[in-house]
Amino acid sequence: MDFRRIEVIFLIVFFSLDIFLFLSFRNSQQLVSSTSTNTSTVTEMRKRNISFGSLDTKNGNAYYLGSQPDDSLAQNVQKLRNQKVEYENVNHTLVSTLNNPITVTTANRTEVMNKFVKKESNILFGKDYKYAPQLSSSSQMIYVPTGSLGEVYDKTAQLVFSVSEGEVVGYTQTYVKKLIVLHEKQAIKSEKEVVTNLYANSEIPNNSKISYANLAYTKLLEANDSTIYIPVWFVTIRNKDSKVSTTKKVNAFTGNIIKSSTNGDNYSAQ
Amino acid sequence: MKFSRVVVQALLVVAVITSIVLSFFIWTNTARYQRGRNIDVTSAESNKNEIPMNQVISPTSVIWHDETDQHLIYNSNENISLSIQKVMQDWKIDEPKLISDKDGAKYQKVIQAKNTLQMVYPTSISINTLGYLLNNDSLKNDKSNQFNRILVNLKDKKDQNIYLANDDNYAVYKAKVKNASSVPISKLVDKANIDLKVRLDIMKHGVFTSYVDPIKLKTYSYVISGKKDGEYTTALFDSNTNGLVTSEDNGVYTYNYGESKRLISDHNTEELTFEDYTDTSVPKTQLAFLQRGYQKVTNLQNSISNLRLYSADWSDKDLIFREYVEGFPIFKKSQFGSIRIKFSRKGSTEHFLNKVLEVPVPSNSAATKLKSTNEIFKGLQRAGYSPNDVQGIEVGYQWEAEADNEKVVDLKPTYYVKIGGHWKAYEEWTNESAEEE
Repeated sequence: MDFRRIEVIFLIVFFSLDIFLFLSFRNSQQLVSSTSTNTSTVTEMRKRNISFGSLDTKNGNAYYLGSQPDDSLAQNVQKLRNQKVEYENVNHTLVSTLNNPITVTTANRTEVMNKFVKKESNILFGKDYKYAPQLSSSSQMIYVPTGSLGEVYDKTAQLVFSVSEGEVVGYTQTYVKKLIVLHEKQAIKSEKEVVTNLYANSEIPNNSKISYANLAYTKLLEANDSTIYIPVWFVTIRNKDSKVSTTKKVNAFTGNIIKSSTNGDNYSAQ
Repeated sequence: MKFSRVVVQALLVVAVITSIVLSFFIWTNTARYQRGRNIDVTSAESNKNEIPMNQVISPTSVIWHDETDQHLIYNSNENISLSIQKVMQDWKIDEPKLISDKDGAKYQKVIQAKNTLQMVYPTSISINTLGYLLNNDSLKNDKSNQFNRILVNLKDKKDQNIYLANDDNYAVYKAKVKNASSVPISKLVDKANIDLKVRLDIMKHGVFTSYVDPIKLKTYSYVISGKKDGEYTTALFDSNTNGLVTSEDNGVYTYNYGESKRLISDHNTEELTFEDYTDTSVPKTQLAFLQRGYQKVTNLQNSISNLRLYSADWSDKDLIFREYVEGFPIFKKSQFGSIRIKFSRKGSTEHFLNKVLEVPVPSNSAATKLKSTNEIFKGLQRAGYSPNDVQGIEVGYQWEAEADNEKVVDLKPTYYVKIGGHWKAYEEWTNESAEEE
């Protein structure tokens, strides 16, 4: 009789133990599945309502580039028509005010300005430049040089139109005549590595959109009277709530996030 | 009554078995969960900013022998030997077999064969190290033999082999290759933009690359970087800097971490020495020797993209790394190159310089024209050194600080000659310039 009671007590104890074990097993299962999504940061980012297109996983190659100061703009200034031009020798910048401001709307401004840029009497070396929507805003349209080595996103080589009240009133221009390869090509970080790294470093908030991720050369430093450019990933993140866009820069050689002042000066290559 | 007792007993058995099974699952699962997480962390770490081992241990010069002459080639936009290594990773290479040994005349024929491309390492490494770097299993099996040249015939379709040659004992190994095409390699050769006529001479102290004609080489400039002592102690003592004993004497700083580790930093010469008395295990295989050297190098410096293994002395367990620019070594004002690592039972020692090439900048100086190697030997003879005294001769870059900018160095080409175990510039041996007038 006593033994039977012991059996019943054991049965109850083991059943409760089973229930406890089963629950903790379920818990550990969930942990496992959550870590496996952790390994795929991309899925986690989607879960957190961060939207982006497909990310390129290919590791490309890029160079250290150098440019020497150049006054081609000053030498060709007589080719320009219908504008008032000034040339600043110190930073090799051409500042122009258009005699007849160009009327543009948000919808057609790219098309209108692309046409304008192509003509040599409007813009010197205009054919070497391309519109860069990532850098532009409602008050500025920025054109960047394109070449066989890639695009340059930097104030030392840029064409900036100022737009005010639906009119393009003038522009400033800097120009790099020739980029020299300074070192054999080196492997760079892929788009996916850069974006996941930004996310891992809490640089991408929840509920946002990666609107642009472009690779371009930007100024690293000046030495020996030359400007040195390195490849940098420019990743623009737009917060869906506040509608504010911020652009993060990542050194494409090292994968380090460049935390610098807006002019991009004085940061180390590390 | 009896029936219900049977039911209770059966249920009890089931409950016990279930609890055992569930416990088993939980244990095995937790283990997997933890292991998986560790793997994730380590792979993320190793992917960081690292230069792969097959870049640090790679051939530094590429010599192409066309129908008539041998040429040292280089492409300043793309490192040819790194690109060829990438091509070779897809090849199926069989186990190498010895075809000749200790036969100087035959060896000369092999290294002067026509239509052959050869990639030369600055020092000999074991064949299984190459197997590890190319991820090739049959090469990995060859544990003891060494080589310093890889030769491939690019024209002879019947010769589907690669040859591994060792300057130290004139050994030549032949390995059959499948799944390989010479087309991508020929393309890389055609793209070379530096082409210098050379001849490989077997001399008393090894095989020397002689430049037949005077050679014109570019000068380079680099922004250099260094680290503060504190950054080295944090990385090398792998713990916080509490308990550090520091002393200073005439600009020489010594940091002791208990009795086990010591860093000596000479601020006058910017040379550092690190001694680790806890690292008493001497590498057992040649592969482990190089792997541990590579790990130490990555731990010391941030940017090692220009660094190459320069010399590996297996019997002394001594490794030397140097920085290279466009295939030529840089000689700094130290006897040990850039980094020297020595393993011993008493602990490991690392000598290194706190000056690393960081960013290339356009050079203000014009190209330099150097004399032919023959003229250099004549000059040495005039200064009293016979060709048999010369243990090594190499074109390398001299490290010159710019007067007006201490952050920038100029690299100027010149001949370096090793006599009596010391590398010195030709000018220092002879008081003559190595430049062609």
